[in-house]
Amino acid sequence: MSQEQAAEKNVPVIELRHVDKHYGDLHVLRDVSLSVARGEVVVIIGPSGSGKSTLCRTINRLETIDSGEILIEGEPLPQEGRELARMRSELGMVFQQFNLFAHMSILDNVTLGPREVLGQPKEEAEKYALELLARVGVAEQAHKVPAQLSGGQQQRAAIARSLAMRPKAMLFDEPTSALDPEMINEVLDVMVELVRGGMTMIVVTHEMGFARRVADRVVFMADGQIVEEGAPDDFFDHPRSQRARDFLDSIKGH
Amino acid sequence: MGLSELLSTYGEKYLQGLLATWSMTAVSFVFVMMLAVLVTVARVSPYRPLRVVGDLYVQVFRNIPGVALLIIIAYALPELRIVLDWRTCVIVTTILLGSAFGSENFMSGINTIGVGQIEAARSLGLTFTQIIRRVVIPQALRTTVLPMTNLLIAVMLTTALGSQVPLSPQELTGVVSYVNTRATGGILAFLVSALCYVGTAFVISLVGNRIDRKVRILR
Repeated sequence: MSQEQAAEKNVPVIELRHVDKHYGDLHVLRDVSLSVARGEVVVIIGPSGSGKSTLCRTINRLETIDSGEILIEGEPLPQEGRELARMRSELGMVFQQFNLFAHMSILDNVTLGPREVLGQPKEEAEKYALELLARVGVAEQAHKVPAQLSGGQQQRAAIARSLAMRPKAMLFDEPTSALDPEMINEVLDVMVELVRGGMTMIVVTHEMGFARRVADRVVFMADGQIVEEGAPDDFFDHPRSQRARDFLDSIKGH
Repeated sequence: MGLSELLSTYGEKYLQGLLATWSMTAVSFVFVMMLAVLVTVARVSPYRPLRVVGDLYVQVFRNIPGVALLIIIAYALPELRIVLDWRTCVIVTTILLGSAFGSENFMSGINTIGVGQIEAARSLGLTFTQIIRRVVIPQALRTTVLPMTNLLIAVMLTTALGSQVPLSPQELTGVVSYVNTRATGGILAFLVSALCYVGTAFVISLVGNRIDRKVRILR
């Protein structure tokens, strides 16, 4: 199905149906179903060990699942090989630890995907990469290597690297959890810009202010299950489940 | 026999020996590196049979004495109608041994890369081959310059196996036997070759250090 057809028929960009996963005896995802529409911003929150990162990582199959289905624009996620690689190239992923390629300049980090996967010529890839680096505010650092950048700058460059593939949706796996406090906002600002641009996003985060401000929907997970979901104001002001109330109480109060 | 007499009589022989050692070392090391890359790629590939073959290769050639391997190649293979000239026998032995150690160096280099970068590459849609070529091998090469420098020296020393077969021209260690069967060069005959080895190793490690400083990856 082409992107236009998918959009017309209102097919969700990302859909999980009854996904289950175990790590040995540990049941990390229990019958998780989630659907994300085009342009929607879904923020996943929950206590550590609740399976939210795992959920995020199953969507581009960095983690395999035991049963259930994951669909990208209505198409099932391929199991292996080139088809899987193609599908991954259409989903951007931002990691807690940035994971920039340590041996390459920031510019080369951003152009690697477009050149290798999309076959873009060098000039075209670099032109767009510099645009993106300017947009996330690290154009000055384009010719440095990752270790010469601050954590916040690295994460913004990593976002630019994902954007360079012109993804259909972006997955953020705790993008600010490894950052010093003074750098969190510069990354969140970039993410807010993406939201304004209409990007479809799944964000696993502990930044409740961000969730309240930009999420269309908040999903609360605990023990591998989606316990409740709803509009951010509803969820934060009137959580329905005891688990969610406990969690929100535990992070308040300082 | 004094040093000056030794050098005036056999100087040319030593020079030839040094050049023979250098050329066998250079040829061997080029193939050592290529084979080490191939074996390492097999060892990290997603296909189990390839991984098993790669691991087996390293276990076999890391644990076999050089002389034993040379005897097999030089004297047992002809039974299977595989006859290599003497120089090739020495070089093949050196390559098989060296590449096993080279692969171990690469594996430790790969282990410094971290799974996060590989996941990032996968999530960009790169295939296994692209990840190996653009992310893994460049970093493995650049983080293993110093161990590979040591390996180059070890490869040079391994070519001394050439003294066990009738090479022409002889390499440095063979020259010592040659000299000592003709004259009583004694310890001095060894000393000249030893100085050649040490001098070469010194230059190799100087260059290796310089390359390492230049390509080392900031982390």
